[in-house]
Amino acid sequence: MLKDITFGQYFDSKSVIHRADPRVKIVLLVAVIVFIFLAQNYWGLLLSALFVLFSMIITKIPVKMYLKNLKAVLPILIFTAVINAFYGEGEVLFSIFGKLNVTTGGLSHAGFMASRIMLLIIISATLTYTTTPNDLTDAIESLFSPLKFLGLKTAVHTIAMMMTIALRFIPTLVEEAEKIMNAQKARGADLESGNFKEKIKALIPILIPLLFSSVRRAAELADAMECRCYNSGEGKTRMKQLRLHFRDLVITIFTLCFGAGIILLNIFL
Amino acid sequence: MSVLQVKNLSHSYGGNTPFINDAVNDVSFTIEAGEMIGIIGHTGSGKSTLVQHLNGILKPTKGEILIDDSNIWDKPKEIRKIRSKVGLVFQYPEYQLFEETVFKDIAFGPKNMGVSGDELKKRVLDTCRLIGVKDEYLEKSPFDLSGGEKRRVAIAGVMAMRPEIIVFDEPTAGLDPQGRQEIIKVINEYRHAFNATVIIISHSMEDMAQMADKLLVMSKGEVVMFDKTEEVFKQGDKLREIGLNVPIVTRVFDRLREKGLNVPNNVFTVENAVEALKKIKAGDRNA
Amino acid sequence: MSNIIEIKNVTYNYVEDEVEYTAVNNVSLNIEKGSFTVILGHNGSGKSTLAKMLNGLNRPSSGDILVDGINTRDEENEFLIKKKVGMVFQNPDNQLVASIVEEDVAFGPENLGLEPKVIRQRVDEALKAVGMYEFRNSTPHHLSGGQKQRIAIAGIIALEPECIVLDEPTAMLDPKGRAEIINTILRLNKEKGITVVLITHYMEEAEKADRVLVMNDGEFIADGTPKEIFKNVKMLKSVGLDVPQTTELLYALNQNGMAVPTDVLSIEETADAIMHYLEEN
Repeated sequence: MLKDITFGQYFDSKSVIHRADPRVKIVLLVAVIVFIFLAQNYWGLLLSALFVLFSMIITKIPVKMYLKNLKAVLPILIFTAVINAFYGEGEVLFSIFGKLNVTTGGLSHAGFMASRIMLLIIISATLTYTTTPNDLTDAIESLFSPLKFLGLKTAVHTIAMMMTIALRFIPTLVEEAEKIMNAQKARGADLESGNFKEKIKALIPILIPLLFSSVRRAAELADAMECRCYNSGEGKTRMKQLRLHFRDLVITIFTLCFGAGIILLNIFL
Repeated sequence: MSVLQVKNLSHSYGGNTPFINDAVNDVSFTIEAGEMIGIIGHTGSGKSTLVQHLNGILKPTKGEILIDDSNIWDKPKEIRKIRSKVGLVFQYPEYQLFEETVFKDIAFGPKNMGVSGDELKKRVLDTCRLIGVKDEYLEKSPFDLSGGEKRRVAIAGVMAMRPEIIVFDEPTAGLDPQGRQEIIKVINEYRHAFNATVIIISHSMEDMAQMADKLLVMSKGEVVMFDKTEEVFKQGDKLREIGLNVPIVTRVFDRLREKGLNVPNNVFTVENAVEALKKIKAGDRNA
Repeated sequence: MSNIIEIKNVTYNYVEDEVEYTAVNNVSLNIEKGSFTVILGHNGSGKSTLAKMLNGLNRPSSGDILVDGINTRDEENEFLIKKKVGMVFQNPDNQLVASIVEEDVAFGPENLGLEPKVIRQRVDEALKAVGMYEFRNSTPHHLSGGQKQRIAIAGIIALEPECIVLDEPTAMLDPKGRAEIINTILRLNKEKGITVVLITHYMEEAEKADRVLVMNDGEFIADGTPKEIFKNVKMLKSVGLDVPQTTELLYALNQNGMAVPTDVLSIEETADAIMHYLEEN
């Protein structure tokens, strides 16, 4: 259901990765993506696949969750594979329209690209499956905190606050939109049929009430925040301090070993 | 004559929403034309899910709904026609107002049903008179009205469709006592003007005692009682078991009975109570 | 006993469509420390406007409000005043800022710049005080209205206020949620000694108050104990309010020539009063 959008992807299978520092997870994810792109040959790809497989296992997330993720991007995957299949050298297997040649090299390139995208998607999913949106927000605020020294202190805080509020209110507003939609349907509104212009027009009875309600909510929220001494983040502390643990070091070293492996394979093969 | 029949209706919210359990499980009942039915049950008992089936907003997982003896889902493409037969006023209906003027907003429903021209104008004006919205309000923006007025205009928007069955989901929620009384009055007036069948979800046992002919009691997605209001309120213990209660006067009379006073067990409004006590005072101790 | 809030000749005017309206008209009132005060009034009687002035969210057009001796006009003490007098509003959804219960409760103390350890302690205590500790890691979106409102109250408790003003906190709740909130408020008042100002139009909620004020057209028209106030059934009805059904019954009996006392409220007391009357006559 739409409402569950904000916990979005999070799946609480209580692994060591879940407990790892979200900042470390974000930085390492970026690193792993770079390493996977660096892999130039099948040995590198195989090593990447092993690394991703190992990550999947230690997150304790059911495999079908990952497959669900892959299913969503299947069209992109197929599209990439097909496009790549036409751009290659080697023996021509068959031709389409007499011009487009599918070659052995092309096929192997297509397989390589598709596998790489699959690995990237799975490894990205490990972050969103194991980290709550709140932790992600905190981590992003923390990672961008060096900007505070550039005089962007309020900006960083404001963006983090906006993300927090958005996460909090998206399910509320989605639920409200559903309610308004049902209420207008009960008044005979036709939301399904009609051409494009009519469909857009049919949205007005939903969007206007939603807009008014958002404005009302925003005004009330502003009052409530003021009552709780909100001062644009001036002098604010945090209850939950992000702290690095031994496990974060282990994960980092492990990931760096993987990166080193990729580079060595690139050099020696 | 039965106007609405619900047969073995079940609805489950599939997928992974274990948090909001508002499912309905094998519910059957029949409502006669012109009846005023109260639906009571605590939050999550399935009341809201149930009423959203009556005009085809939700489709049953199992079972069927018959309006005037025909299944409303026989022709799924014509489900919108059902909505002029069965009006549904959601909770906090003022949040669905959107037009520039009160007139246009009230006209939205009937217009969707194909009413136009003089007939449309007449419908809107008649409805406004019925619910006591003054003519000078018609050209105002609905957003400039007070809370209670907005609620009445929103209700008028459904009434202008002239449904023969009209369903209200907690129509008085959030209003002050005066606002609540006005809404109750408006509902009664519509009922009498159009001989409509009325179904009301409410948490107020005192309001239900005053208004409803029959009560449908829901718990955990099932109908646990469906009987005359008087009969339902005689079963205080059963109601308390599912987290509901009887009206306050009834509770006072229960106390009186425990203290040994021979009072009747069918008292659930202040008027009943005064009558009963008058009789006792007059010496008719066997009343 | 000393006063936590002193309202001195306060008037609040606002302009809408170039017309000036008076929402609160020359009101004076003292709220004693540790008391439980209920303000009754229909929608538009000025009670919410007054509430928002009690912690400086709105400032009076004329007159003064002192919180623990500090004038709410004193901008330097803006946060001190908000810390002393917390506010809870009608819609619980629009008061919660974070999507994890304990993080939401921590919002206030975090803004005060307290040590993480102290915040943790306050959050835990506040959640325990409203009976929501076991839900600390839940998402508010999946809780009932009553539970969400209790979290909103916890968010205020975590600021350790001396007084809480609640503006129709039960208006959007079902009977179960309403009972949860009233019990929570009573507990905070009796056990923690927090001063409570409860604004409502549900008469039953005023039963346990020390003092009830009735507001109409921006003025206080009655001030007394719940029993004293509820006796005036006619006056209450004339300003668009209602009385508990017990009072309604006793009043109706009097109208029908049965002189039962009208200054009792609970079901038990009402039954006793009727019993007593019938035995005597």
